Amino acid sequence: MVLGSSGSGKTTFLKLAKGLLAPGGGTISVLGAPMARPTGRDRLNPRVAYIPQQLGLVRNLSVIDNVLSGALSRVDSARSLFKLFPGGFVDEAHEALSALGIAHKAEEKVYALSGGERQRVAIARALMQQPRLILADEFISQLDPATSSDIMQIVRRIADRGVAIVQTTHEMEVVARYADHVVVLRNGEKVLDRSDSDVLADELAATIRG
Amino acid sequence: MQKWLPRSLVMLLFAALVISMANIGLLDLPRLGRGALNIGRFVGDLFPPDLSVLGAVTVAIVETLQIALVGTLLGFAMALPMALLATPFLFGPTITGAARTILAVVRTVPSLFWGILFVVAVGLGPAAGALGVALYSLGYLGKLLYEIFEGVDPEVLEAVRSVGCNRLQLARFAVLPEAANNLVAQLLFMFEYNVRASSIMGFVGAGGIGFYLLGYIQMLQYDRLLTALVATLVVVILIDRASARLRRMFLLPTSGGVGA
Repeated sequence: MVLGSSGSGKTTFLKLAKGLLAPGGGTISVLGAPMARPTGRDRLNPRVAYIPQQLGLVRNLSVIDNVLSGALSRVDSARSLFKLFPGGFVDEAHEALSALGIAHKAEEKVYALSGGERQRVAIARALMQQPRLILADEFISQLDPATSSDIMQIVRRIADRGVAIVQTTHEMEVVARYADHVVVLRNGEKVLDRSDSDVLADELAATIRG
Repeated sequence: MQKWLPRSLVMLLFAALVISMANIGLLDLPRLGRGALNIGRFVGDLFPPDLSVLGAVTVAIVETLQIALVGTLLGFAMALPMALLATPFLFGPTITGAARTILAVVRTVPSLFWGILFVVAVGLGPAAGALGVALYSLGYLGKLLYEIFEGVDPEVLEAVRSVGCNRLQLARFAVLPEAANNLVAQLLFMFEYNVRASSIMGFVGAGGIGFYLLGYIQMLQYDRLLTALVATLVVVILIDRASARLRRMFLLPTSGGVGA
C-alpha cells in the first residue's frame, strides 16, 4: 500500500506505472520489463489494470458492458465496435460479477448503482483484463466502513490468487489489516519502504507528516 | 477601473452613430415618414388572413420539416466521424487540424448559400434545400460535437484507455456513451435551428414554405403571407417546445458523477 498526504505524489506514481503519464527523466520498469515512453494515444498494457479514485466507469453503459470493456484488448476490434463479444467473454464477465455479488445488476446502467456496487463493477472490469498487477487509487476512501471492509476482503482474495495490488490509501486501519508492504511518499520521494505488516500506526503517521 | 467612459470617447461614439445613421438613410425624416405610412398600409393589407391557401401552405410546411429532418440527419451522419477525427485525445495534431479546418470552412458558408449551390447542382426543389441544410449542419454540429467529446471526463477516458483498447474502441466504449445525452440534445437543437433555416430555403428555389413566403411578398398578397407566416410560427413554436422538453429528458437522468 502507498501512503502519503495530499499532493505527495501517490496518484502520479500510479499513473506513471500505468503509462498514463510520461516520466520527466529516467526509466520505469513494471512487471520486470522497462516501459516505452507513453505518447498519450498508444495502446496500454492490459495486464496492468488501473482503477482511478472516481473509478472511471462509463455511466451510460450497463454494468455488463462496463465489465466487458475490460476485455477489449483480447477481442476482435471490428466485432467489439458492435458489442459482439464472443460467448466465452460474456460468461467470464457474468462469473466475475457473480463472484463480486452483483450478477443481478448486470443489465442496469452504472448511474443507477450505489457506491459499493460501482466499486465492484470497477473491480470486475479490472479482472476482465486478466491482470498481473492492479493499481487502485484511493478507491475505498469514500465508502462507509462496512462496505469498505467488504471491498477489501475481495481485494485480499484477488491478491491471494497471485495478482499484485498496489493501492493508495489514507486509512491506517486498512493498512494495519490488509497491507503486506507499505511505502510512504512525501513530496514525490519515497520516505518509508517496509515489507513487514506490523508497521505501527503512530510511526506511519509521523512519517507521512515528516 | 474607471466607472465612466471618458467624455471624449462618448462624444466620438455619438459622432460615429450620427454619421452612420445619416449614411444609411436613417436621418431622412420624410423617407421615414413615408415608411411609417407604408408599414401602416402593409399591416392593413395583412388582415383578414386569406385562409384559402392553408392547404398549400400546410403541404409546404410539411416539406420544410422534411428538408430540416433529412438535412439534420445527413449532416449529423457526416459530422460524427468528422468530430471524432477532430478530437485531440483520439488523433494526432495533423488529422485534428485538418478536420477542424474543413469544419470551419464549411461552417463559415451560410446555409442559404449552400442552398444556391445545390440548386445549381441538383436543380430547383427540396432536394437542394436538404443538401444545403446538411452541409451547414456538418460544419455547425461537427464543432459542437468535438467540443462535447473534449469535455468527456478525463478519468473515464484514462480508465477505459488503461484496459489496452485502441482508439476506435475508446470512442465506442467511452467517448460516445459518455457524450450520448449531450449529443442527442445538440442534435435536437440543430433540428430546431434547421426548421427555421429550411423555412427560407425556398427564397433561393430550394423548396419548402420559403417559396410561398417570397411569392406572396413579391405579388403583394399580404393576406396570404399572414396565413403562411402564422402557420409557420405555430409549427416552429410547437417544435421548439417539444424539442426543449426532449432535450431536458436527455440531459437530466445521468448528470450525477460516478464516484463512490
